[in-house]
Amino acid sequence: MISLLKRKSIIAFIAICFIGAFLPMLLDGHPADTVGAPFARPIFWNSNLPALVEMDISTKETSFEWRKNPPAIFSLSGTVKANPTSEVKIVWHTPNKDFVLATLIGQSLYWINMDGRDMIFKQALNLPLIGKSVEALFPSKGKYSITIDGAENCELKLYLPGQRQGLLGTDQRGRDVFRMLIYGIRTSLIVGISATIIACILGLGFGLIAGYTGGLTDALIMRTVDILLSIPTLPILMVLAGIWGKGLWQLVLILSIFSWMGTARSVRSLVLTVRESPWVEGLKALGAKKSYILRRHLVPETAPILLANIALGVPGVILSEAALAFLGLSDPRLISWGRMLHEAHAFGAFTEGAWWLLLPPGIGIVILCLIFMDTGRYLEELIDPRLGSGKNV
Amino acid sequence: MNRKWLIRRILSSLGVLAAVLVLNFVLFRIMPGDAISTIIDPSFSPEAKALLRELYGLDKPMLEQFFIYMKQMLTFNFGLSFLSRRPVWQELLSRLPSTLILMSVSMVLSSILGIWLGIKAALNRGKFVETLVLRLGAVATSFPGFFVQLVLLMLLARTFAIFPLRGSLSVPPPTGTFAIILDYAWHMTLPVLSLTLMGFGGWALYVRNLMVRVLGEDYVLMARARGLTEKRIVYGHAFRTILPPILTILLMSVPGLVSGAVITESVFSLYGVGTFLLEAVSGHDYPSAGAAFYLLALITIISNFFADIVYGLVDPRVRIEGRNR
Repeated sequence: MISLLKRKSIIAFIAICFIGAFLPMLLDGHPADTVGAPFARPIFWNSNLPALVEMDISTKETSFEWRKNPPAIFSLSGTVKANPTSEVKIVWHTPNKDFVLATLIGQSLYWINMDGRDMIFKQALNLPLIGKSVEALFPSKGKYSITIDGAENCELKLYLPGQRQGLLGTDQRGRDVFRMLIYGIRTSLIVGISATIIACILGLGFGLIAGYTGGLTDALIMRTVDILLSIPTLPILMVLAGIWGKGLWQLVLILSIFSWMGTARSVRSLVLTVRESPWVEGLKALGAKKSYILRRHLVPETAPILLANIALGVPGVILSEAALAFLGLSDPRLISWGRMLHEAHAFGAFTEGAWWLLLPPGIGIVILCLIFMDTGRYLEELIDPRLGSGKNV
Repeated sequence: MNRKWLIRRILSSLGVLAAVLVLNFVLFRIMPGDAISTIIDPSFSPEAKALLRELYGLDKPMLEQFFIYMKQMLTFNFGLSFLSRRPVWQELLSRLPSTLILMSVSMVLSSILGIWLGIKAALNRGKFVETLVLRLGAVATSFPGFFVQLVLLMLLARTFAIFPLRGSLSVPPPTGTFAIILDYAWHMTLPVLSLTLMGFGGWALYVRNLMVRVLGEDYVLMARARGLTEKRIVYGHAFRTILPPILTILLMSVPGLVSGAVITESVFSLYGVGTFLLEAVSGHDYPSAGAAFYLLALITIISNFFADIVYGLVDPRVRIEGRNR
């Protein structure tokens, strides 16, 4: 078993399984949470763009230096307590101009929830209604401060999501791409492995029956295989996904129904050769039943082929799943790499030039597929050492 | 050509066609609810509902429905689309040329490129060219197609705006036939290019393997001994021998090509059968979805059949026994 580890792809396979299974637990929060501004760039991208700034405001005056471009969003939320008779004034001081954000009077507790993108906010501040209010609120680099006059107690939070956020930026809804990428591994692995295992079981069953029974059953099964192989796969998968719903397990079933044919063929050809071998004849002569020969001798015989078939079949299934999800035919709540590409394609990543929405999931798919392909080839070589020199036919 | 073999091919194609038809019928009948539940509004009166059911023939017994359906499919009378309320066949017919052009042009280009590279690699065994072709081929086949297309789209249509981001024609379309053709070609370049890039790898690897084997045969040695030119040896002798297996691969690549075309059309938002199928599937437009699927399957079956016929013409060894797997 230890010798398996000599192949790097096996190590990579184990590593990616671990990452897919355990890393989501270490990341706090759900991938669907909004964490920042839409289309924020990766954090290492351009240091002139601001990153996320959060500030708790509990004193009368809070000031800070701003040395970068304006943030993506300006938002202020929280509570202010004051004497109902006194007037509370929240003022935003910029190097050029002061903005009175709110003038409050008549209550003892105020809930503040301001967002620079709100029309009402822009109207109250006499800002242009079209365009970004942050550019007016952050006119230049320099000293900024926020003052709250006449309040007894305030618990405010200044929240300034920047144009840089997270390891891989954010998508059109402000979700963290890195977090989604890690969660996507799980989906790909679950769909890929479970659909392939189901497909292999189907293929094993049909291949055994076809190969061992022969005659009409064999012809029928092999004709079905031929027909299924000559139907274009993606259109039928699309139709099925559209009709049967888009849940994870429906997807697994749909994918497995259309990927058992290769396994059935190779199992059948193996059974055909083994069936005629002397030891099977000997078993028959000893009075072994058909089911006994199948179960105890033919199934174990096919095990190596099956193992390699599973590893080699996973990339195909992962690609089909990604293609379906890319076409928008997957559960919108389920985060997968194909879905990420779909959203990048459908929701403006191209007009934004948001390469960070495109490359991570795509490269993830490629790497996962290459790992499984190489693992499968390695298993094949273990089964049939002649394939080892296949590099120079 | 062997007549028995021809009949056998025709029957086999008809068998696949029948299977597709039955599958198509069954698929749209086993789903939850029935086909018109998406267009029936709860506020419809029972008479209106009954009328709609009658219009789509859902009030008849299953067997009769099946025969009506068969007749519809074989006469290309697919009924009305739920979404556009126009005859489905009209919509499909207007989209078919685009899909066929996309598929055929990229198929021809990728096979020519792949075969040329494969032969080059086989002739330069152990040299840099061979390694390069093998590596390129492996990379081209192992990348998910739509990802490559998305990257190309991002690079060539967004970062360097050489090609259009979406669509089959500019909006508004230019005037004049020539200008329209030019505009269409401009919009189709990137899709065709990307499909070609994705397709050539398999061809190159396959042709190289075949060619290497054939070049080691005695008759190639004989041809060399006769002092024939290298060109004549390669294309007149060796390549002619591997033509039948190449056609087999052509036959086997059509279903993949149809799938590739569907996804390519979605990536580049082209006006074609693939995008029609996607719109129909995601809009629960069952008559359209069924018809589009049927048409794509039909394209596959017909091209498979023709590939078989050409195979028979090229390979004199075709016998009935030879075709048995």
